[in-house]
Amino acid sequence: MITQRPAPGDQLIDFELPDHNGNQRRLSELVGGDPAVLQFYRGFWCPKDRAQFRGLVQLQEHVEVAYTRMISVSVDPPEVEAGFRAGIGARWTFLSDESRKLQAQLGLLETTDTVHRPYIPTVFTLFPDLKIHTAYNGYWFWGRPTNAELAADLRAITRAIRVDWDLHPLPVPRHKGEGETPG
Amino acid sequence: MSRPWHWFAFRPERPTDAFASTPAFRADGAQLGFLATWRVGDGRKPVGAMGIDARAIDADGKPAWISLTLAPERIRVLFDDPAVCQAMRMVLAGPPVDVVSSLVRDPSTIGGALSATHAATPDGLADDPFARLFPRMLLRVDAGFVGTMPAPAGPSVQRYAGAPWPWDRF
Repeated sequence: MITQRPAPGDQLIDFELPDHNGNQRRLSELVGGDPAVLQFYRGFWCPKDRAQFRGLVQLQEHVEVAYTRMISVSVDPPEVEAGFRAGIGARWTFLSDESRKLQAQLGLLETTDTVHRPYIPTVFTLFPDLKIHTAYNGYWFWGRPTNAELAADLRAITRAIRVDWDLHPLPVPRHKGEGETPG
Repeated sequence: MSRPWHWFAFRPERPTDAFASTPAFRADGAQLGFLATWRVGDGRKPVGAMGIDARAIDADGKPAWISLTLAPERIRVLFDDPAVCQAMRMVLAGPPVDVVSSLVRDPSTIGGALSATHAATPDGLADDPFARLFPRMLLRVDAGFVGTMPAPAGPSVQRYAGAPWPWDRF
């Protein structure tokens, strides 16, 4: 188990948290067999988070057709996350670490905010086995990934895991009747 | 689970060859017909049956209310139709139910959808997004047919290898 802040190449722990509806969800279940964007955010009250979410909601239009997952995590209770999720138009799963146990395990407590004690804004792009492809530290806003950077990561992961990424063309029949079925 | 889906049909009479079937009642108690399911691979596809997420069916399931939308036989609507995609988006955005599965008529055509709740009332099914696409029946079934599924992870509105949405892996 990782107790320090996770880095690219690390295997993320397969944690379990309640979702925005209060149902227990395991990370591996939400990731399934797909590339994933795992986002830790401060909370609905943070203007920088709201700006980032506006971009992620745009990215969602691509993610929803691309066999890819998105998961967002905060220390807000599920009912607050549900309201925030509905308000911004997100259709992916939000997870609530209200107890902050996962935050401590991952070393992602933002120590400079003693009022909210939120997550350090962080984004990981993940392989299906929860190995980290790229980690973005968004404590400073410009550390957060753009949608173009996320798309590049997701392209690289997809290329690595999908055996049919380079789909070979079927042979062209030389004569009528030849080669009409592959293999 | 060897296959992510079963065959499913709404029938006026109880089929004798189904591995699970149950009478389906209207809210006023009148019986409308039977819901039946068959395992894929147990024989030929039953006439008129459609693919349903296997997790939607559970022989040990609790009583349930069902919102069953069925496309008329003569109507062919593609899964890729923007209206179908929008119904899936609305399912993902809305409050979760205990079961939701699209019904697969053929590799590219949707035949309807089944949503269900084990709650005492059908209130949670009042706004079934698929009911804006197809005629809907609100049904009550006894224990022994309807399962429970985790809420779809979202935001995908695509199917995996032809399985009924929201089955979410290859």
